[in-house]
Amino acid sequence: MAGAMEKKSNEWRLALPLTLFFVVFFVAPLFLLIGISFQAERRMTGALGLNQYTAFLGDRLNLEVLGDTLLLGVKATLLCLIFGYPLAWLIARVSARLQALLIFLVILPIVTSVVVRTFAWIVILGRRGIFNDAIVALGLSPTPLHLLFSETGVVIVLTQVQMPLMVLPLVTVLQRIDPNLASASQALGASAWRTFFKITLPLSMPGIIAGVILTYTACVTAFVTQSLIGGSRLLYMPMMIFQQAMDLQNWPFAAAVSVMFMISVLVIVGLLVALSRSRAAQLYG
Amino acid sequence: MFDISRRSLLAGAAAAAGTSLLPSGAFAAEELVAATFGGTWANVHKQILAPYFTKKTGATVAQSPMLATAQIAKLTAAKGGPAPFDVAMLDEGPALEAIDAGVIAKYDASKSPNFASLNKKFQGEYGPAITMQAIGIAYNPKTVKAPPTSWADLWKPEYKGRVGITSLASTLGLAFLLDINRLEGGTEASMEPAFKKLKTLLPNLAAVSANFGAHGALFQQGEVDIGVQNFKFAEELKAKGVPIEFVRVSTGTPGWKTTMHVVNGAVKPDLAYAYIDSQLSAEVQSAMQKSPWNVIPTNSKVPYEGLVASKIAKTPADLDKMVFFDWQKVNKGRADWTAQFNREIRV
Amino acid sequence: MKRVVDWNEFSFKALFWLLSLITVVALIAPVVVILMLSFTGEEALHFPPTSYSFRWYKALLSANELQESFIISIKVAAITVTASVVLGVSAALAIARSQKAWARGLETLFMSPLILPALAFGFAALMMFSVLGIRPSLFTLSVGHIVVCVPFVLRTTLASLAQLDPALLDCSVSLGASDLYTFRRVTLPLIGRGVASGAFIAFMSSFDNVPVSLFLQDARTQVLPIYLWDIIQNQLDNRAASACGVIIIGTIVLMVLMERFAGFSRFMK
Repeated sequence: MAGAMEKKSNEWRLALPLTLFFVVFFVAPLFLLIGISFQAERRMTGALGLNQYTAFLGDRLNLEVLGDTLLLGVKATLLCLIFGYPLAWLIARVSARLQALLIFLVILPIVTSVVVRTFAWIVILGRRGIFNDAIVALGLSPTPLHLLFSETGVVIVLTQVQMPLMVLPLVTVLQRIDPNLASASQALGASAWRTFFKITLPLSMPGIIAGVILTYTACVTAFVTQSLIGGSRLLYMPMMIFQQAMDLQNWPFAAAVSVMFMISVLVIVGLLVALSRSRAAQLYG
Repeated sequence: MFDISRRSLLAGAAAAAGTSLLPSGAFAAEELVAATFGGTWANVHKQILAPYFTKKTGATVAQSPMLATAQIAKLTAAKGGPAPFDVAMLDEGPALEAIDAGVIAKYDASKSPNFASLNKKFQGEYGPAITMQAIGIAYNPKTVKAPPTSWADLWKPEYKGRVGITSLASTLGLAFLLDINRLEGGTEASMEPAFKKLKTLLPNLAAVSANFGAHGALFQQGEVDIGVQNFKFAEELKAKGVPIEFVRVSTGTPGWKTTMHVVNGAVKPDLAYAYIDSQLSAEVQSAMQKSPWNVIPTNSKVPYEGLVASKIAKTPADLDKMVFFDWQKVNKGRADWTAQFNREIRV
Repeated sequence: MKRVVDWNEFSFKALFWLLSLITVVALIAPVVVILMLSFTGEEALHFPPTSYSFRWYKALLSANELQESFIISIKVAAITVTASVVLGVSAALAIARSQKAWARGLETLFMSPLILPALAFGFAALMMFSVLGIRPSLFTLSVGHIVVCVPFVLRTTLASLAQLDPALLDCSVSLGASDLYTFRRVTLPLIGRGVASGAFIAFMSSFDNVPVSLFLQDARTQVLPIYLWDIIQNQLDNRAASACGVIIIGTIVLMVLMERFAGFSRFMK
């Protein structure tokens, strides 16, 4: 017994190397980032102050960019949910063979380079791309649509690029739901839609929230997609950080922008987690 | 055809290299790291400068394409230690910033025999100008029927949603904005006239690229039919078979120097000098002046010919007629202008 | 009455199937488009190609920089995966066996790179290396990659440890086996597939990383995705398509192998 206790208390040592690694290479840089954001001068003279934050908050443009970025994530995440949920639902129901194939198709995009996929979308969405060719040929629009360099384009591509992050957690949760619940509901006369909204959807809430958190955080920080598909006229936070850090070499301001961005993302994730806890309490409490 | 001319260039450069001053193999098996611009510059440096340099010194060179601003950022980040690369390639404005940031070294002309044959105006204290950049309007002759003659043509209603410009991260975009400002009666100290004018261009804009390379790709894809463009870049696209024509604007051709520098803390300073000196040699510069590259020479021993002579300048004196800007003042305003530019062009 | 129910059920299923179909098509379309483009026989990138050939794949053979950046990316990914597996698996063993608050805290810490903007982390790491006077190199690049790739290994290993019956370990230990022996002969074979899956995802994610590499790569270590990004932005060279084709085909082959030997799709959920 004493031996077992000792063993247990020793096991934390296994986490030591990674903890040390994270403290040095993850936590320390983030603290440094916060520290530098309080430098008053662009030249980092050592004078401290809230200058960078007042500069950030004092300009409506910055707040609009922050708002646009957070909203962009909401739009793409909602689309992921609307299109991804049915697929996850289907995957949870089909035969094992088809299931394996579908999961394979869903995973394929995550492991295929983002640059590669985004490149494909440039070809698809361009003014002379297949999408526009089809739209003009079908007579839906007399002239090609401006999809590249538009927010619509960015949302479409983000939805595709991040879709797997939504579908996979949903599949896990949907597979765990007892199919008898839905059968019982329908046997009792509830319609398919009613069964879905009253039984399946609430029970799959944990999966939805996990998927939403993963998709949302990936969408707002998707620098490659945002800049390749969006171009320079659409400014989002990652581009702004890059512009200030590399283009204008204003490290303190770039640091302040990074901190504001990280806080906003963390607040949203925190809200989602809180939401999932309260849902769980409602359901199982 | 493209391949043949490329090969003959290489052969020419290699032959010329045989007459070099430095003993071959002095730096055998060493590697220099040099920054270059992306796109066309990366190609011309790889195909002409690198083989010439290797022939001359026996050393190899890794050429890393980076925007001027990114080069300064990387050098600043590594300040105090060994530099991440040995040779910087910058435009006039960023070069001043680099001097200001203390990341590039004074150029020791005694280590660079070809420096003396440069035109006086190209002998910079911190590094020589390797070319002159010239900008104008490029258009797709298949879709733009009347060749444009001035910036004002970009504002024509028929080009709604078809015009391309670049952001201020690129000197191309900056020079365009500065020239608009000049024509609207502004100076480097007050850019309001330019921004006011820019606002009226918005309906015509199809895209604002982050750099001139991306900008060129948009012409290729047919996303953009007309827009501001760099002379040498437009001519290279044309040689590649892209439907594109370059014209100078009637109000004077804006231009600026592009320079090369040995960086502070360079790991291989001697090789860096040999590399820059290779770029200054008459052999390399005359090879680079040929199509499809059309790099305007700065070595006084290289007479202007080809498209450079027919489209930009017959003699170096003609370059003086170009429109220049006060980059020291430009640098002071750049951060604010970038913020304002972001604001104005946002959709 | 019956008809109404049918209609209701029909509309529900029809909508779900339709949306699923659109999603599946959208998921595959880019991959198909790139594969077709990579076999184009034309000089310019146009879809669909009017003729097909291997010329752009042949062109890759002489694309030295592309090959170099490919090798650098493989190197970085290999270093990243090795370190992530060693660090991640041992941390997972510690975390999985404890119910204490510190374990949950550490888990949150280790998973947080998935949530935080990678670009901000890349920038922060650049500043730290700069302050410490460490020159960007393969080392700094790999360190940055490890931070953002460890969560994948940790997650799949934790998932497979959760399925592991602790009685097995107790059994082994009570039969007198040493800890190391138990780990090698009991734990590892049972969680091996989870670790392998995580390693695979970590590898692909490092191979694909742009936001961290953007700040931490030096002039000599140009990684493949950034080089490709540069080609796509600056030159729209057809070799970009054939290079993408190689990546896609390589990925599919790797995935099929991983699925066969590690059944990794189970760990993706």
